[in-house]
Amino acid sequence: MAVLNELEKIWYFMKRDIVSFSTYKTNIFVLLLTAVFGALSFAFVGQSSINQSVTNAYGTNYTTYLIIGLAFNTYLGQALTLVQKTINPWALEEVLVSPTGLATFIIGSSIWGFIWSTAVVAIYLLLGVYAFGIILTVNIAGTLIVLALGIGTFIGFSMIGSGILILTKQGDPITALITIATSLFGNVLFPPSVLPPLLQIIAYVTPPYYFFTCIRHVLLGWTIQMILPDLLILTLMCAIIVPVGYVVYSVCLKMARKNGTLSWF
Amino acid sequence: MQTENAIETINLIKKFKSTVPNGNGFLRRKTITVNAVDGINLTVKKGELFGLLGPNGAGKTTLVKMLCTLLPPDGGTALINGFDIVKQQMQVKRSLGTLFSVGERGFFWRLNGYRNLEFFAAIYNVPRQKRNERILEVLKLVGLENNTYMTFQKYSGGMKRKLALARTLLPDPPIIMLDEPTTGLDAISSRTIRDFVQTTVRETGKTVLYTTHYIEEAAQICTKIGILKQGKIVAYDSPEALKAKIKKDEQIELVVEGIEQTQIERMRMLPGVIEVTEKNDQPLMAGQRGIHIELQSVDQLPLIFDFLFEQKIKLVNFKREEPTLEDAFIELTRKT
Repeated sequence: MAVLNELEKIWYFMKRDIVSFSTYKTNIFVLLLTAVFGALSFAFVGQSSINQSVTNAYGTNYTTYLIIGLAFNTYLGQALTLVQKTINPWALEEVLVSPTGLATFIIGSSIWGFIWSTAVVAIYLLLGVYAFGIILTVNIAGTLIVLALGIGTFIGFSMIGSGILILTKQGDPITALITIATSLFGNVLFPPSVLPPLLQIIAYVTPPYYFFTCIRHVLLGWTIQMILPDLLILTLMCAIIVPVGYVVYSVCLKMARKNGTLSWF
Repeated sequence: MQTENAIETINLIKKFKSTVPNGNGFLRRKTITVNAVDGINLTVKKGELFGLLGPNGAGKTTLVKMLCTLLPPDGGTALINGFDIVKQQMQVKRSLGTLFSVGERGFFWRLNGYRNLEFFAAIYNVPRQKRNERILEVLKLVGLENNTYMTFQKYSGGMKRKLALARTLLPDPPIIMLDEPTTGLDAISSRTIRDFVQTTVRETGKTVLYTTHYIEEAAQICTKIGILKQGKIVAYDSPEALKAKIKKDEQIELVVEGIEQTQIERMRMLPGVIEVTEKNDQPLMAGQRGIHIELQSVDQLPLIFDFLFEQKIKLVNFKREEPTLEDAFIELTRKT
């Protein structure tokens, strides 16, 4: 009887979680989508044509390609989620009643994350150079420009996602879509040229593709002029996404304040 | 901006939409609109300790959140220190310190009390050169000077609330709003906070808007009280004036010696007497009896004394029951 009682309790724990989980419908959709596309992205890694594609595009080997991809993916991952980390509802209310602007709040809340990510990227690259023998010829100015544009673009996406999250409370489709797009089409684990032609088209309209193409080139010594077409597309994307992100975040915040749901979970 | 009113609301309205079940079935729901704040006109003068009293769900927290610019109004507006909560939000924020009902919100649990306040001092524009002095000052004011460098997660519930109060005072705002600051605290911590609020108003002249559902707390410290019910102010006055508004039957309690049951029966027949009951809830000497008498008005009181004198009944003790703020609160929130 005692065992049955304990089993019943376990059932009620699970029931509590299922009922609670089922109330976040957007989150369920996002989780399922991420799982499916996450698995798909790894299916392309094993293709034998990757090495040749990498050499053709960057004049380097797959190890160098992969280490740079993984290192800067950490950076973009940080940028993509940083605004979300600032929207702990209670902390948000406390800051919103203070005489501090929204932009200061977002920037201030994200600085440390970037410093930490920079350290992680440095570790990746140092290990790559000293443990795996990759050769980097860094174009510093180019790297800083590409980084600024990439981080800006991803912060823009982060603001859109976080704005939606303020309303849905759990699960934002934008962050999930960008994560999927980055892993599948973003030029992180494999070049889009190994994808079927239709999927390649999707890759060429997503910002991660242009960011990873540019960052690899500047780390391998290419000049700004040499990457100009890709850099211009990335700049255009950044110029559109950042203001859109700020507006979406502000509007969603305003809606949550109006509805009185800002401090809801 | 010079104004004699610290807080002034002008027909302030806040509506919330909510979905509720509509008949049977999981998916059958309808949307209803709830008037959380329903056309409130309220004035709090500078230096006043104003209590906003109301049952749970009356709209106290919604009103506080509107006044501190967190919730935009659906109608009307309010002036804080003369600044409009819709059009002059930054000036409103500089004039206000707000303590929300959940005291520990927004704090960083792995930082100590000092570091937490240091962060809030920066975002509340406390000048850098005065920051250290001000932090130590407010920590001392709320009695946390010995726990300055203890991490927030080790603070007790009362200490967390005190730190939240210290955060509210940090920028030295002229107006302070305290939303149920003693809810969930033990008697000693509650009293410390009440005493502190009274002292602050007396010594610094700050205006305090104090929301609570503890009636005696409001009666004890507030100079003016507004009673809120379903988003409306149903009464607004000093605690004494609110008590006086209660049309309550005159209640008296006597302790008498040598009274017989027949005499109690005769007392019931006296003009203006509504009810006479025996009341033995206190220790009495042999031969003494406690009597509770309900009269239509105080004018009938001499008749009672005359009766006792005529019947040679010895009056040992006499007490007239005053209506309490709780009586006022119950009657006012029931009536309207």
